[in-house]
Amino acid sequence: MLLVEDVYAGYGLSEVLLGTSLAVKPGTVVALIGANGAGKTTTMRAISGLIRPARGRVLLDGEPVGGLPASRIARLGLAHAPEGRKVFGTLCVEDNLLLGAYGRLPRFFGFRGRAAADLERVYGLFPRLRERRRQLAGTLSGGEQQMLAIGRALMARPKVMLLDEPSMGLAPVIVQEVFRTIRQLKAEGMTMLLVEQFAKTALEVADYAYVMERGRIAIEGTPAELRRDERLLAAYLG
Amino acid sequence: MPASIVAQMAISGALMGLVYALIAYGFQLTYATSKSINFGQGELVMVSAFFSLTLLDLGLSYWLVLPAGLLFGAALGLVVERAGVRLALEQKSEGWILLTIILGLFFFSAAENIWGRDDRPFPTPIPSDSIHVLGVDVTPLELSVAVGVLAVMGLIELLKRRTLLGKAFEAVSVDRDAGELMGISAKRTVMLSYALSGAVAALAGILVSPITTVGPTMASALVLKAFSVAVVAGLDSGFGVVLVGMFLGALETLASFYVGSGWREAPGLVLLILALAVRPTGVFGKAAIRKV
Ligand SMILES: Nc1ncnc2c1ncn2[C@@H]1O[C@H](COP(=O)(O)OP(=O)(O)OP(=O)(O)O)[C@@H](O)[C@H]1O
Ligand SMILES: [Mg+2]
Repeated sequence: MLLVEDVYAGYGLSEVLLGTSLAVKPGTVVALIGANGAGKTTTMRAISGLIRPARGRVLLDGEPVGGLPASRIARLGLAHAPEGRKVFGTLCVEDNLLLGAYGRLPRFFGFRGRAAADLERVYGLFPRLRERRRQLAGTLSGGEQQMLAIGRALMARPKVMLLDEPSMGLAPVIVQEVFRTIRQLKAEGMTMLLVEQFAKTALEVADYAYVMERGRIAIEGTPAELRRDERLLAAYLG
Repeated sequence: MPASIVAQMAISGALMGLVYALIAYGFQLTYATSKSINFGQGELVMVSAFFSLTLLDLGLSYWLVLPAGLLFGAALGLVVERAGVRLALEQKSEGWILLTIILGLFFFSAAENIWGRDDRPFPTPIPSDSIHVLGVDVTPLELSVAVGVLAVMGLIELLKRRTLLGKAFEAVSVDRDAGELMGISAKRTVMLSYALSGAVAALAGILVSPITTVGPTMASALVLKAFSVAVVAGLDSGFGVVLVGMFLGALETLASFYVGSGWREAPGLVLLILALAVRPTGVFGKAAIRKV
């Protein structure tokens, strides 16, 4: 369970989030949509600790995590696949995946063995990654890097996953593949907060959705409810 | 002048050059994790050498003093990180440049107060009578420098590539935020890099002191050349600093012999200026040193 309560955050003097609140219940997929620059990525960064909320609370399974370093929050069970993927380009695919599980692996020896089951699971989900396990992540295609970013987040066995625009810049067939994976993870009971440009597709997998405008949640509801909203239809769902 | 003597001098110089390489490697370690370097690194070399000398004077065996000196250097590295670097980095300022220089000055005057201004010999059980290896005469002392430098750099590189901690070190170097998202504490990684860098500086001091003696002024001479090596080789290639360090060491010895001992510092300076003019990212490097 992830709760964001009245969070204010920004970058230096520029305030971006102006009282954002949202909730992600266990086992559900929640979509966060909105125009460019609305503050979706900033919301995710404030949740995962990459920026510190100036006000408000972030609760992970009831525990306040606002203000903790991102590495602490990650170890408490929050995995964030960031905008732009941010894979470690100079490390190979498998090393990237192993680092996803950093918090619960031994630091020096035997980490590969300890992570074997999780690696199998990710390679099962993304057979392409298994083929390229020794390849440097920086040389992967965009779609493969996105799979790696999702796989790396899964390696942590997170309680909650944040996916920031997993379809950004990908060819339509790859976008379909990414969404197939998201549906599969949902079927397995994963709790997810999903930011997407493809609002329509996002609403198809989501159980609940929030629409952001200028740092605040403007509209929220189930996908069925949002589809009935004329204004929204015009603005985002084309 | 027989060619063999030239080769002889070049090799002795190259072995000494490995000390510059080791200090330059210390710059690379902290630059990787934090894009900062300790401008007082030479003072860490010197203070650690004095500290080790004091332990030797107290009658401890060299083989105990060696690890103790490395630990002491690591602790000093942590002090530099805490006092000189951390706050500046948190505020995204370049204040670490001035702060590490000031810390270096502080260590320098502390060393003068504690140990005096004189150069002192550094006893070692490693013999300094030359032996004949592969056609040249070298002293076991010189060889110990080479073995020590290459073994420690090799060990650190091996740990970086083979252990999860090493991969985490690389991850934070590539993308600090993404590393944090994996659960890797960037703060602790930076601390680790400063501790390693301090230990490496101490090793340089312990290895070079039996050859050069220990004194407060050893710091500036060593660190200037290490700095040239780091600039010429770039801040991200361990292999590069070894090659450039040996090259500079050899060049220096030959220059001081042929041109005069006053010209010993010239090759380093020329190399530095050339490198900055021609290729600011270093011959082997990708990252540029800003504000040199
Ligand atoms: N690092 C930063 N420093 C300063 N301002 C920033 C930074 N990152 C984002 N902003 C600003 O914050 C606002 C919200 O940006 P954010 O990235 O959260 O939007 P977004 O909803 O994710 O947009 P997009 O759909 O384009 O990804 C924008 O006005 C942006 O210019
Ligand atoms: Mg965004």
